[in-house]
Amino acid sequence: MEDSIKIRSLWKDFSKELLTGQKQTIVDILKTIPLLKDLSKRELKVISKFAYERSSEINEFVFEAGQPGAAMFIIKEGEIKIVKKSDNDEYLEIAVLQTGDIFGELALLDSSPRSAGALASKPTKAIAIFREDLNGLLKTHPEIGGKIMMHLAIITGQRLKTTTNHVIQMENEINKLKEKFNGKQ
Amino acid sequence: MVSNDRLNRSRVFYFSLFFFFISIFGFLIFVLKDLVLPIILGILAAYISLPGVNYLKRKGIPKSLAIVILLGVFSLVVFVIGQKIVSAIPNEKENLELRVQLQYKLDQNFLALLGKTDYNSEGNFLDDLVGDELYQIFQGLNSFLVFNKHESSEFKKYIKKSMISERTLFFYNENLKHPFLSTPNSKSNKLNENTANKSKTKSASKIALFLDAISIWIILPFIFIFVLIDEGEIKSFFLGIVPNRYFEMAFTTFSNVDVAIGNYLRGTLLQSSLVGLVIFIGLSIIGFKIQAALLIGIIAGISNAIPFLGPVIGLGTGLIYAMIVEGINPIIPFIPANPIVGVLIVVFIAQFLDNAVFQPIVLGKAVNLHPLVVVIGVTGGSIIAGFWGMLLAIPTIVIFKVVISTVYRQAKAYYIIY
Repeated sequence: MEDSIKIRSLWKDFSKELLTGQKQTIVDILKTIPLLKDLSKRELKVISKFAYERSSEINEFVFEAGQPGAAMFIIKEGEIKIVKKSDNDEYLEIAVLQTGDIFGELALLDSSPRSAGALASKPTKAIAIFREDLNGLLKTHPEIGGKIMMHLAIITGQRLKTTTNHVIQMENEINKLKEKFNGKQ
Repeated sequence: MVSNDRLNRSRVFYFSLFFFFISIFGFLIFVLKDLVLPIILGILAAYISLPGVNYLKRKGIPKSLAIVILLGVFSLVVFVIGQKIVSAIPNEKENLELRVQLQYKLDQNFLALLGKTDYNSEGNFLDDLVGDELYQIFQGLNSFLVFNKHESSEFKKYIKKSMISERTLFFYNENLKHPFLSTPNSKSNKLNENTANKSKTKSASKIALFLDAISIWIILPFIFIFVLIDEGEIKSFFLGIVPNRYFEMAFTTFSNVDVAIGNYLRGTLLQSSLVGLVIFIGLSIIGFKIQAALLIGIIAGISNAIPFLGPVIGLGTGLIYAMIVEGINPIIPFIPANPIVGVLIVVFIAQFLDNAVFQPIVLGKAVNLHPLVVVIGVTGGSIIAGFWGMLLAIPTIVIFKVVISTVYRQAKAYYIIY
């Protein structure tokens, strides 16, 4: 039964490719990412030359917390859980990422240790883009490298704003709890 | 349990695969050892030219055209240097004349060094101090220059045909007067006979040798082109077979090693070129012919890549030429007319500039090797592969050092080893 499904889906993929003459290339996937949205097809082709596709099995780590970051990953298919070990050695789930999402993007800026691990919760294919290649791109194609860096700065800024809002919310919560606690005493 | 079995099976599989490929690779290297040098030099040339290709690409020149331009420049340089070297290499008659001349000059300079007028007269303090030891070295050098029977008869034939200039004939007769050299020892004679036989076979099959060399070296430009054309496919292939756990580490190691080795090789090339250039300019100033100065500059530049021994090779070549050269006219008047002193000054200046300026600026302290490693490496290289072994020993050791230290650092950073 399982085999017949596999063969059917394989045929479906193959016939689709044959009829439309299209296969989802790395360029197609890169086009969907907000970080690279301003880039033309020609510019994306340049990036696709140093995009490495990797496959991970279920429960396999793409990277672990504490390791030096070297690459950003884009999920081509599958699912990735961002996890962090708690004090009692259990993995806490921070986020679940789907096809088209990116993770580990701060590694494009420096090699500081990963703050959390990335675990494949389904068989996953991801595309890796390395900081070293991006640095090289800044020299050979400054206009492409500049656009990516600009978007990376925007995304990082947005995340900082979100984190700041979270911190403010949490401080408010703590203050309210403190007031409640003092009132009860 | 199942996963453990699977793990063991995959370990056995990968180990067998690795062993299989290493055996095949080792066998191929052994069988095709003649191709190893052109392949290594092709890769090195491509590596060194990579920034050149990138520079031309940034200037808007397509990559393929940039590669063609660089290949053209390389071919032109090799052709010009090759032509200079070929035109400077003497034929059999010139070789004999040169040896007669060199032997005479060596004799004269040796006597002058010890402050003697002939071998029976009293010498200076140097003669008293180390005269006997120096004489041994001098005899050793002379044993390479003395004619064997075959060469003697050849030279006499040239004399009969009046093909030898009067000056060389004078040198020849003076050499014959020398009491110690008229009866060369059997060892040196044998050595000379061997070299004579070698040169005989060489001259007999020059075309075959040329074709042989062409068929092997034709691979070099192809290696050069394909390594430069590569758009990261080679790196992609190797990274593709790395397990996920080591993927990021492998990439980082790859690029760190790439940068370090690229900088080292390009730095060494630049340093050698600068030393060669200084020696070329210096020798031209002291009045050497441009062609001779260029040839000595090239030899000194290339051999400068061999630590310790390189400068000696450059100096030796310069001194040998200085001994046989006659009637040199220094460009600047206050320069000493003695070419030997001139060569010593030029090589000293070149080495001073190399150690004080070129090395610190070009190479920095990126790859420091212990002098003991350098000495053993160069000696080992010469045993394994002669001159090329000496030349490539240090870059090979540097590559290994960079690879091992980077892999170790990265493996620790990624918690693969503790």
